[in-house]
Amino acid sequence: MATVRRPATRARSAIFAPLGDEGRAVRVENRLAEAIRSGVLADGERLPSEPELAAMLGVATVTAREALVALRAQGLVTTTRGRGGGSFVTQPAPSGPAELSSRLASMSRVELRDRGTIYGVILAGCAELAAERADATDIEGLRDLLIDRDETDVGLWRHADSELYLSVAALTQSARMTREVVRLEADFGALLRLPLTDPDFRVAAASRHRALVDAIEAHASDAARRCVRMHVADSLERLADLHAAVP
Amino acid sequence: MKVHTAELSSCVESIETYFHGIRAELETMQGLLVELFDRGPVDSAVARARIEPHVRRFLDTTDIVGAGYVAARGALSDEPLYLAWWQGDDQQLLAESDAPGTGDPLDYTRHPWFRTPERTGQPYVTGPYVDFVCTDEYVMTSTAPVISHGKMVGVVGADTLVETLESLMLPALRSAGATLVNDQGRTVISADPHLATGNLFDLSAYAEVAPCRDLPLSVVAR
Repeated sequence: MATVRRPATRARSAIFAPLGDEGRAVRVENRLAEAIRSGVLADGERLPSEPELAAMLGVATVTAREALVALRAQGLVTTTRGRGGGSFVTQPAPSGPAELSSRLASMSRVELRDRGTIYGVILAGCAELAAERADATDIEGLRDLLIDRDETDVGLWRHADSELYLSVAALTQSARMTREVVRLEADFGALLRLPLTDPDFRVAAASRHRALVDAIEAHASDAARRCVRMHVADSLERLADLHAAVP
Repeated sequence: MKVHTAELSSCVESIETYFHGIRAELETMQGLLVELFDRGPVDSAVARARIEPHVRRFLDTTDIVGAGYVAARGALSDEPLYLAWWQGDDQQLLAESDAPGTGDPLDYTRHPWFRTPERTGQPYVTGPYVDFVCTDEYVMTSTAPVISHGKMVGVVGADTLVETLESLMLPALRSAGATLVNDQGRTVISADPHLATGNLFDLSAYAEVAPCRDLPLSVVAR
């Protein structure tokens, strides 16, 4: 993701806010891992030293060290020694199905619904505004991202799906909105697209996305909003089934 | 030809001067690259090195937020998609643009700033639009095709923040009571406080339409 990114100050101070007592190393690990995956902590960024990190999070230095060891094991942090050394953020390679399943398994149903809600509301709002503001060239760009329902390459589906939603966000004409959706896509988009492995779901997704682009073209804001709501709701239902099926 | 008020003509002139200035820089970059591609196969490092000094000087001396060369698919011998593109205060090199979530390379060739010069063989100004390939900002992008042996091997381009353009052009537009619109009927900047940048626009409500020379932009007034 290429950008001239502004520092996300509030999100950052939330990461470094003090933690409670139980399972501290794991909680430090989870919080930093989430921040790295979502891009709040950027690739190559230097993390605070172990004592600094411990002081910021209100945990013992040994706890901070334990969390960093675990993050290194996950490949999310690289540590170098000597002058100029330290712990650096390493953005994970695009998540494979195994990693996604384990992320899904580690989430509570409450968290899944929580994330799904913000994703759904924001994307539905984007669709509504896109329908007011899209011109003929924009529609042509969106149509390029619609995939034939018989296509079997799931990677292609995921990519086109993500880019379609990103493009709809950009049509709001708001750069801040688009950056927010970029963040949501990095954070939750990959999980939400797990159901695309199911051919029936793909057929349903294809028809909803076609309807979405038609609605945007017709400047039909309500219809555009409904298409996205339906799609996100259905994706979340399927994701809940997958979540229930994980041991 | 219709005679416009002095204020309106002066707006048109400012817009033309601004974008033709960018175009002159793009023509220099075009020249450097055409010469390179005409000699034989080019890889990303060679293309980058050829234009880097020029682009950095361009960024240093103007209010442009990003500029460079964007390769057509397969035009470079080593990379299928590549952006020799520098942007931001630190003039960072972009090189490739990834999709969030999947991390796959973004296919920029479907975007209007690439596709329009490809179709017409002519320079173009795209926007205003939110660019999530390069800057993640709301921009106007000037692009021109780089053509070697009859084939487009990419585009050269430059991004202007719409905010920059607003601060440059709004005073003149206000004194003319005018609005700058693009060829898609979208408002770029308007003297009318209720006509927001980015909104679609009903041209028929405007009596005066003054097109900018060789640009997909017009200045209109009631």
